[in-house]
Amino acid sequence: MHGHLVKERKELDLRALENMAVKKTLWQDVLARFLKNKSGIAGFVIVVIMILLILFAPLLTRFDYDAQSFPDRFLYPSSLHPFGTDNFGRDLFTRMLYGGRISFMIAIIATFISAVIGTIFGSAAGYFGGVVDTIISRFLDIMMAIPGLLLAIAISAVLGPGPINTAFALSIGGIAMSARIIRATVMAIKTNEYIEAAKATGSRNFRIIRKHILPNTIAPLIVNSTMSIGGSIMGIAGLSFIGLGVKPPTPEWGSILNVGRDYIRDFWPMTVFPALFIMLTIFGFNLLGDALRDALDPRLKD
Amino acid sequence: MVIPIMLGVVIIVFSLSFLAPGDPVSTALGEGYTQEQYDAQAAYMGLDKSYIEQLVSYLVNLVTKFDLGKSYFSIIPIETELAARFPVSAMLGLFGIALTVLIGIPLGIFSAIKQYSVLDYGLTAIAMIMAAIPGFVLSILCVVLFGVQLRWLPLVGLDTPKHWILPVATSAFPGIAGMMRMTRTTMLEVIRQDYISTARSKGLKENVIIVKHALKNCLIPLVTIIGGSVAMVLSGSIIVENIFSIRGIGTYMYSGISSSDYPVVMAGVLVISFVVCIVNLLVDILYAFIDPRIKTIYGTRMTKRKKPAVLPGAASEVV
Amino acid sequence: MNLLEIKGLTIHYAMRANTVHAVNNVSLVIEPGQTLGLVGETGAGKTTTARGIMRLIQTPPGKIVSGEILFEGVDLLKISSAEMRSIRGKSISMIFQDPMSALNPILTVGEQIAEVIHLHEKCSKREAEERSREMLEMVGIRPERAGEYPHQFSGGMKQRVVIAIALACSPKLLIADEPTTALDVTIQAQVLDMMRELKDKLNTSMLLITHDLGVVAETCDAVAIMYAGEIVEYGSLERLFHNPKHPYTLGLFGSIPSLDKDTDRLNPIRGLMPDPSALPKGCKFRERCDYACDECRKEEQSLREIEPGHTVRCMRVAGGVLNG
Repeated sequence: MHGHLVKERKELDLRALENMAVKKTLWQDVLARFLKNKSGIAGFVIVVIMILLILFAPLLTRFDYDAQSFPDRFLYPSSLHPFGTDNFGRDLFTRMLYGGRISFMIAIIATFISAVIGTIFGSAAGYFGGVVDTIISRFLDIMMAIPGLLLAIAISAVLGPGPINTAFALSIGGIAMSARIIRATVMAIKTNEYIEAAKATGSRNFRIIRKHILPNTIAPLIVNSTMSIGGSIMGIAGLSFIGLGVKPPTPEWGSILNVGRDYIRDFWPMTVFPALFIMLTIFGFNLLGDALRDALDPRLKD
Repeated sequence: MVIPIMLGVVIIVFSLSFLAPGDPVSTALGEGYTQEQYDAQAAYMGLDKSYIEQLVSYLVNLVTKFDLGKSYFSIIPIETELAARFPVSAMLGLFGIALTVLIGIPLGIFSAIKQYSVLDYGLTAIAMIMAAIPGFVLSILCVVLFGVQLRWLPLVGLDTPKHWILPVATSAFPGIAGMMRMTRTTMLEVIRQDYISTARSKGLKENVIIVKHALKNCLIPLVTIIGGSVAMVLSGSIIVENIFSIRGIGTYMYSGISSSDYPVVMAGVLVISFVVCIVNLLVDILYAFIDPRIKTIYGTRMTKRKKPAVLPGAASEVV
Repeated sequence: MNLLEIKGLTIHYAMRANTVHAVNNVSLVIEPGQTLGLVGETGAGKTTTARGIMRLIQTPPGKIVSGEILFEGVDLLKISSAEMRSIRGKSISMIFQDPMSALNPILTVGEQIAEVIHLHEKCSKREAEERSREMLEMVGIRPERAGEYPHQFSGGMKQRVVIAIALACSPKLLIADEPTTALDVTIQAQVLDMMRELKDKLNTSMLLITHDLGVVAETCDAVAIMYAGEIVEYGSLERLFHNPKHPYTLGLFGSIPSLDKDTDRLNPIRGLMPDPSALPKGCKFRERCDYACDECRKEEQSLREIEPGHTVRCMRVAGGVLNG
């Protein structure tokens, strides 16, 4: 009896090892495909540079993002102020770096929230089907009927500006999208035989979802999240631009741009630099997301 | 299907405004008021009732009188303001979408039929760059370039045709990249199909094949994305109208946002969402006109056909 | 004169990293009224050859590198694309593998047949429609169904429509790329019978692509066996079926289940076809061949005639090792 159990345990371990081996080669394949994609690598490099810039902001600049200096207002780029200074004489380069921190933080939080909630709703709807699916899907239909930016505007108008509120406002619009993706993936996987087998052996629903179904949703989730971070950065900047989102004096790309707009006729650095940072970051995330999609799901490639 | 979704949208939007922090009554009254004045104002705004009562009366007013609620600050009913401003926004949106379609679809087609060519790579790269430029950033840059530096185009209002160029171009721009990519992808999908090979093997000219056989089969995804761009253009109007000082729904909502006049913001969200719902409905109806397979589904359901569409008539007829 | 004569056709696909040698130096002949079977496994280059004849290779990445395709004495690779279009559908037509996707889902079957008639026969739209109904009747579909869409037909019926399109202008040559592979076995026979009948009636020659030797035996006058982009054995049906020589052909026959012989199991050919982007030197089949020797590795094999009208690309056969 005991020996039998030991043997079974060993077999299980072996199978786990095999699984790991399969997984490893799978991810190696993905990596190999990704490395072949030049634009994907470009996107990756852009994103990494952005992250390094904002992480090491204190080391890269001698100025304080809040330090005002009246005589130094509206300075054009120089060796001292690489991007010039703003309407309060603050160093623009410093504000761009710290502004990036806010943007990235909000975008990552928003994407994380919508991915988690979307996964819960999506996997429940896809796995259980029937009434659960109908209720969740109808609810998602309603959420999808409100354009994402408008929903974010409505929510942040109610909640008021601020990083956390903005993250929350942006995440709500993303839930429907990620829930749909997860739902479709789960429904496709559900019919596979190994799920049937797991059911037949009496595994509990939650365990089946966690062990067998969720791992398969990782690929679409990664792709969607990468795209969504870029989209969120665009959304944050947009919200700040219309006076929601993050308010001055907190540095944020969209709000710097919004303030810069008032001086557009005479002083270009305050509009051009935030605009460049926003575009470059979104560009990087889009390239990265595209490449990840191609690498993770070669069937989708044209 | 549309009605319950619209109802759901109303409930969500209304609940949002109900959750709004601050006291709208005191906001509306401003400084210094008596308790009677306060109660009267609360009753006038309908805020002395419970959530359910308020929701029901909001819905009833909306359905029977198109009443979208009362602004905190203005005595002009919101629906009147919106109705007055809607045509401008709609025109701007229509032109914007038209421009998106006129540029995005042909470029996508060229890109697809010249796959692997320099043109294709170039257009794809341009689309990637375009997709990374938010509408408001582009608007600002256009204002700087064409309005301030070159002084080619006017920047404020919509008085002359020249005034329309920048607002229309900037509201179209964000959609063009998406439209192009979508067209390219579906077109590539379609021209790989066997029926395109069949059309080629008939000896048809390439442009006939593209227009008659390929493009028509791309229409469903394209109509879907055109429908989607309505949502994008309308929500983008908040920014575009604001930048170019156009008196449309967008600027109205913007004023609501900056003065915390929630009913105005919510009404704007509601109206735009309704338009989006209706557009989606139209898109669904269009599908049936485009694709005979969908038409058959509707057809068999609505009118009784003389014989079943596929079987068993087909089966009896040899094979 | 031969209706179609292919000489040394070579087609490559230039992919990003490497070049796929899809068709290598293929030569074939089809006489008027004759049916030639082109047999081989998936990826052998059969479809590419057929598309090459129609000049329907997508360029890029595909490219006809060299060769001649003489149709009634005219090299199809040298004429303008407008001239080629006037041949497609009119003198040469082609049937594709999958009837499910070979018809345009948003046009009625009548329109799709009438289209090719209107294009080539210089007749009015009405006449074309009239004739499209006649064509439907000819392939065994009620002409009233001309106004229906492809999804309203079953697979076998769709293939009949495809055949009606292909034969609408009474072409001199019909290229049929696995016309029955996607159909149910019971329907395969009906469609094949009908094709044979119509072909005889219209005196059309046919290039039949298939991997089914049974179909070849019933339909063809001559057979070419294709392997890794090359013809490995070529001859009249009788000669080739009664005296198959190439080890690959033998293998193909060996993997057909036989009811006559008392065999316990099939004899499939071991291994896989070589990667067409990295073809081995010498004989392409040698790694799967039971008779391979060192010589097979070194020398490029050429097609050698072993009896009148029967050629084989194998040095062991020519050297007498496999004779007997």
